[in-house]
Amino acid sequence: MTIHSLLMRTILLSSVFLSLFLTGCMGLGSKAVSMQAELAAGRVSNALAIAENENSSEDEVLASLNKGMLRRMKRDYQGSNQIFEVAKKNIEELYGVSVTEQAGALIVNDTLRSFSGDRYEQVLLHAYMAMNYIQLDDFDSARIEMKQAEVKMMEWGDDPEDDPFVRYLSGMIYEELGEKDQAVISYRQAKDVYKSTSQKQTFGVPTVLKMDLLRSLANEGFDDEFRALKKELKMKKFKPEVLTKGFGELIVILNSGLAPVRKEVSISAVTNEVTDTVKIAIPSYPDPQQRFSARLSTNHKLVANLELVENIDGLARAALNNDLPIITTRAIARAVVKHKTQSTVEEKGGALAGFLATAFNVVSEQADTRSWITLPQTIQMARVKLPVGMNKVNIDIYNASGRLVDRIEKEILIKSGKSSFITEHWVAPNMSLVVMADKNRKL
Amino acid sequence: MFVRSFRKLMSVFLVLGLVAGMVACKPTITREDPNSVKDLSGNWNDTDSRKVSQEMIQDVLSQRWLSKYTAKHNQMPTVIVGKVRNLSHEHINTRTFIADIQRALINSGEVSFVASSKERTEIRKERMDQDLNASEATRKAMGNEAGADFMLKGSINTIIDAADGDQVRFYQVDLTLIDLSSNRVVWAGQQKIKKSVERSGIRL
Repeated sequence: MTIHSLLMRTILLSSVFLSLFLTGCMGLGSKAVSMQAELAAGRVSNALAIAENENSSEDEVLASLNKGMLRRMKRDYQGSNQIFEVAKKNIEELYGVSVTEQAGALIVNDTLRSFSGDRYEQVLLHAYMAMNYIQLDDFDSARIEMKQAEVKMMEWGDDPEDDPFVRYLSGMIYEELGEKDQAVISYRQAKDVYKSTSQKQTFGVPTVLKMDLLRSLANEGFDDEFRALKKELKMKKFKPEVLTKGFGELIVILNSGLAPVRKEVSISAVTNEVTDTVKIAIPSYPDPQQRFSARLSTNHKLVANLELVENIDGLARAALNNDLPIITTRAIARAVVKHKTQSTVEEKGGALAGFLATAFNVVSEQADTRSWITLPQTIQMARVKLPVGMNKVNIDIYNASGRLVDRIEKEILIKSGKSSFITEHWVAPNMSLVVMADKNRKL
Repeated sequence: MFVRSFRKLMSVFLVLGLVAGMVACKPTITREDPNSVKDLSGNWNDTDSRKVSQEMIQDVLSQRWLSKYTAKHNQMPTVIVGKVRNLSHEHINTRTFIADIQRALINSGEVSFVASSKERTEIRKERMDQDLNASEATRKAMGNEAGADFMLKGSINTIIDAADGDQVRFYQVDLTLIDLSSNRVVWAGQQKIKKSVERSGIRL
């Protein structure tokens, strides 16, 4: 056997093996794609069944995050937190930059880097665990999750990823636990962060938070700040509402739609050094999906319009935009490395070896399209006063043109002077309802 | 020559791969002394729980509330464990050190304990069942429960300072013993633990 033929065989074999290996860890993977398709069609049970199927080639963090969110959507809050805890532990283990993975990313592609979630995803993990604990009526544990999120946000130091909704949720949890002074601090922080992140969130301070902050300031005796803030927010006529006997509060947190899914975009060579045989692939988001609005009603009477409190779609796009320069730099560096190996192999091993090396380089160049795709597109919220006892509430979902596309019916027990929470998910329009509405319109 | 060394190299990789595979299949188990100190993540662990309970026990038994009560009532006090609130940033199992404190107090022979409210509900259910099904001689009547004189309750708090992956964690455990008839705090114990957790920004 000559050296030449041996080299050729080795390249061929390694191409086949590496291609097989890479198909497993490339981007989202076929399992996640089919899970996302089921979820986008509103078939949560099917999506969960796919997600629960063990697949060793999947990133453990990503698989756990998706499983946790789908279990939550199926109201298995305990099961959801069990798997979210696994995700949290794995994220901790992946702290720091891996030398080997970085090298792999420079030679093969970015999917060789372990997925530990973007910062906004890591913070939201605590928020969803807290919401699970709220549903399990374990507010002390929900408080712990919020504390962990606070530590996480503090840890990032000079380059913080502060999440206004997480601050707001902390405030609500503190308030429910009777820690009103802590609630004021969190509401204040939430207001500031809504202001500083308004560009990526695409909205400012929600009115529902303004009212909560003003009410808390008044109740805790921060009179000067209360007056100054009323002026600043142009809410001079605001009077804090008092929960009279026989009334409680309902807080609706609606996780609506689905977070955007990253797609791969291939671009051609950018330097003289690299010819068009080298592919550069980077992730990108398609145009935003339509946004849905929601209204809360009891006994067919409108009680409140739900207000946008978190634009996860915006956060995902901002995170990618932030990472894009480094992703692109890495892709260009990779293209140069790959081009060099192609030329060397061709020189030493001949045309066929060069062709195989090129084929491998093109096949292996894949964009990292991984993200937590079971997150909602937006989080909307309403906070209303309701009479004590069982209350039937409807959350009506409307599309961008104002047409009713779905209705969530819930029964909730309201306790005197306390807050009850609904932390529902809604992913896709109810087609039967849309068709029925169309028929009624025609009649 | 090249072929031979190439094959040799491949065999080394194969053997290394097999060894790695075998290592991955079989977990390594080492038995540890329960009193040994082993910190892994920097989170609250068994050592913290043991340290806090041991020092709290020493403190609670050495204070004057016990001798004063015994001298006044000529009997040992009855204590109940209330809620120990976890106000920290970790999901800490407070039951382990509360159980340690409870056991030490009972074994000291100077304090008696009554069951917690959750346990009492279960026992009352059993007594109701006895009312219907047990013989007259062995039946335990309702209304003979021993009422507690003191309640042990408290909280775990943490203060965390973090920057660039490094953390300083400060834990404070506060326990108080409250006289149920007068609401007076007869004993207040406090334990503090401070840890520094440094994480490398680079991994393999």
